[in-house]
Amino acid sequence: MDLKEVDVELIVNGRRHKLRVGTNLSLLQVLRDRLGLTGTKEGCAAGDCGTCTVIMDGRAVLSCLVMAFQADGHAITTVEGLAAGKKLHPLQESFLEHGAVQCGYCTPGMLMSAKALLDADPAPDRETIKTAMSGNLCRCTGYFKIIDAVEGAARKIGPASTARGAAAGAATGSSKAGEGR
Amino acid sequence: MSETRSEARPETRSVGRSVSRVDALEKVLGRARYPADFSKPGMCHAKVVWTGEPHARITGLDTSAAAALPGVVAVLTSRDVPRNEFGLIESDQQVLAADVVRWTGEAVAVVIAQTEELAEQARDLVRVTYEPLPLVLDPIRAMAPDAPLIHAGQASNVMARWKVRHGDVEAALAEADLVIEAEYHVPLVEHAYLQPEAGLGYIDEEGRVTVVVAGQWPHDDVRQIANALALPPERVREIVPYIGGAFGGREDISLQIMVALAVFRTQVPVKMVWTREESMRCHGKRHPFTMRYRWGAKGGRLTAAKVELIADAGAYSSSSKAVVPGAVSVATGPYEIPNVSIDACVVHTNNPPTMAMRGFGTAQPPVAYEQHIDKFARALGEDPVSFRLRHLWDEGSIQPTGSPVPPGVGVKETLRRAASAAGWRQDGDRWVRPDLPPLPDGRRRGLGLATAFKNIGYSFGFHDRSTARVTVALDERGEPERAELFIAAAEVGMGVHTVLAQVAAEGLGLAVERVKVHGVDTTRTPNAGSSSASRHTFISGNAVMEACRLAMAQRAPGKRQVEAEYTFDSQRVRPTTDFDPETGACNPHITYGYVTQAAEVAVDPVTGAVEVLRMVAAQDVGKAINPLMIEGQVGGGLHMGLGYAIMEEFKLREDGRVRTRNFSEYLVPTTLDMPADLTCINVEVPDPAGPYGAKGLGEHVMIPTAPAVLNAIRDAVGVDVGELPAGPERVWRAMEAARASAASGKGVAR
Repeated sequence: MDLKEVDVELIVNGRRHKLRVGTNLSLLQVLRDRLGLTGTKEGCAAGDCGTCTVIMDGRAVLSCLVMAFQADGHAITTVEGLAAGKKLHPLQESFLEHGAVQCGYCTPGMLMSAKALLDADPAPDRETIKTAMSGNLCRCTGYFKIIDAVEGAARKIGPASTARGAAAGAATGSSKAGEGR
Repeated sequence: MSETRSEARPETRSVGRSVSRVDALEKVLGRARYPADFSKPGMCHAKVVWTGEPHARITGLDTSAAAALPGVVAVLTSRDVPRNEFGLIESDQQVLAADVVRWTGEAVAVVIAQTEELAEQARDLVRVTYEPLPLVLDPIRAMAPDAPLIHAGQASNVMARWKVRHGDVEAALAEADLVIEAEYHVPLVEHAYLQPEAGLGYIDEEGRVTVVVAGQWPHDDVRQIANALALPPERVREIVPYIGGAFGGREDISLQIMVALAVFRTQVPVKMVWTREESMRCHGKRHPFTMRYRWGAKGGRLTAAKVELIADAGAYSSSSKAVVPGAVSVATGPYEIPNVSIDACVVHTNNPPTMAMRGFGTAQPPVAYEQHIDKFARALGEDPVSFRLRHLWDEGSIQPTGSPVPPGVGVKETLRRAASAAGWRQDGDRWVRPDLPPLPDGRRRGLGLATAFKNIGYSFGFHDRSTARVTVALDERGEPERAELFIAAAEVGMGVHTVLAQVAAEGLGLAVERVKVHGVDTTRTPNAGSSSASRHTFISGNAVMEACRLAMAQRAPGKRQVEAEYTFDSQRVRPTTDFDPETGACNPHITYGYVTQAAEVAVDPVTGAVEVLRMVAAQDVGKAINPLMIEGQVGGGLHMGLGYAIMEEFKLREDGRVRTRNFSEYLVPTTLDMPADLTCINVEVPDPAGPYGAKGLGEHVMIPTAPAVLNAIRDAVGVDVGELPAGPERVWRAMEAARASAASGKGVAR
């Protein structure tokens, strides 16, 4: 079998990587096997479970369905790039506080879907969160704590840190009695 | 959204607190490593040649083309397996099929190559020819005397039978003034953990065959690997890193032996990762059951319960001979019924082997007995809460097996609390259900509840043992500074490491952060048994508690470290016994946890689609060691129970091949399928033998969900759906049948 290879440049978590990759490789395979970023997991390799979600140019994408050559020149954020040094991202803090992590296999994908959501809409209501996360399967939690955690993170990020659309949205978000305790 | 209300207990510092999971930080950072995340320099990759045939004789196996492909290191077949057998209870499965394949998920060969792509290419070059054998997919048909035998040489496809005889059920049915009979079916269901099977194997520095895998029962995996490779167990090592969910589906061997064999034969590191399709097709499932219930009441009280259970074992025995007894032991629910007769059997077919799955035989009968209970309440004109409360167990109640229930019976309290939270109000001895305003969109609203119970720990005379070793560093005054815990309790996601850290912290007077729980390595951490049967809190919790007590007792002036190891054995504390072959009399289980859940649903009368709007869950956990983690377990239990109720079915085609191959075909609930509201209530009726009174809950919290939803559907649209899943088509057909029946003047089916 003659597999073509191409040169690509991936900007992953702010770092540039020049690689020669097979045209049959997914972004997921390159992240895990070539760059050693095993935080991103494979759950189905068919776009059904959301486990492999990463952020590409600000949007949540399924890295099992994006071919590596399609990511050429694009900025990608994985779970390893979520914390700023030792400072956890508010989503990570909130997942810890709300008990949103169980087996943890869906967690990286959940975090990336939630980050893409909060980056675009800093004060989503519960229904918006549920819709945004509906492509991420979890078999352990029933999603309750995960949705609580995303709401909690939105409150942490708050209206101050986001210039856009803060007023109405954030007020709704913080008045919701979503959090369990 | 949820709320926890717990009763006050004596002061504890770590136990009872919602401490953060000990593994959560690594998991949110993406640093937690699962089996597929491990690699070794120079490792090869292995792929499996699966049969795909549901029942056939292998007539030819040609590996020459695959072996000749450059980069292929080895192609292993049955001839390469020293002892070609494995199995949890009986070694009736082949590591690599030699002669006959009995279900589509059997492995025929393993190809090992320098890259994953090469291994895939070589796999596709292996040629296997087959002679088809007659198929048997229906367990009822498999029981017929003329049915083709799945295992030649056996007298019939019926693997085993059980019976329980308590009182005189025929006389009681004859005297009953109300008899209700119905048949219920539950389907084949997939565990659907998110982490597909994966493993890395290598020879370690001491020459041991080592596998890094997600196994629920590490030391039993070692036993089975060693047996298949004909090695002494001390030459085999299993390391269990993080596991992406298990739910019973990793209690049996999946790829452990194949990875070990590949390493054993090639002596190089070998990695094997299954795709989702391979995972779905090639590991076992939950037992489908046909359940025939004929119960009688006299003067408003249940007097007779006759039950027949038929379970599908699939092609191999796995743990069927332990799962089905579990079903037998709970078949009539946590109810006092003076005359009981239960007959059960488990039957081989060419379906996937059925195995442990959350509930271990106790998730199927509630689908029958809780609908049946509601039918009696309805026929007698009594509220389902009041009716249940008149029959539920109290302390000292006698089980159908003749033994009293273990102490700590909180079942009535779970019902009272769940019913109250769902809107019922108490009027003297009567309970009155809430009036539900109609939904504005024309869908029918319904409210239902179900009560269930499950054992904790191994049963029927099995020694449930767990060994814990603790090392405690002491300060100059002899006070504990920090501790390390060694115990091979596989963390499948349920939080066992956190619970055991809390128990150790409590026993040593330390903060939880000061207790390090070591990861499972069968050469370093002692045998704790399986991560199943909701057992670790009770069994391993006791082992840790006692090990800590022994360590503390060794403190002496000048000592800066103490260490102790302790093996807890359930048989010394709460002995159980196996069924009497004629009467079924026994003391079946160590202890029980009890659960009641209420569901509010909306049913579309046009399409039959069911939406679960709200749920209440009340569980008697004995002692809530970590309330926040309990809420997490409850949420996950509802997820799996709701999937069981209305969505999930692992489907085979008529030719025995798999139809539901990935998550696009095997549907599990998403965020949009879950109820908007969950109320979570912990009831704490302690078991005096549990650590701090704790019992267990991992399985319990999914068991009443499906019958609660079914009872709510009945309440909404007036039809019983006796077969799961109650998807739109099945609900619609039941409504159509009721409409047709009403139109023809025969009255609505009950």
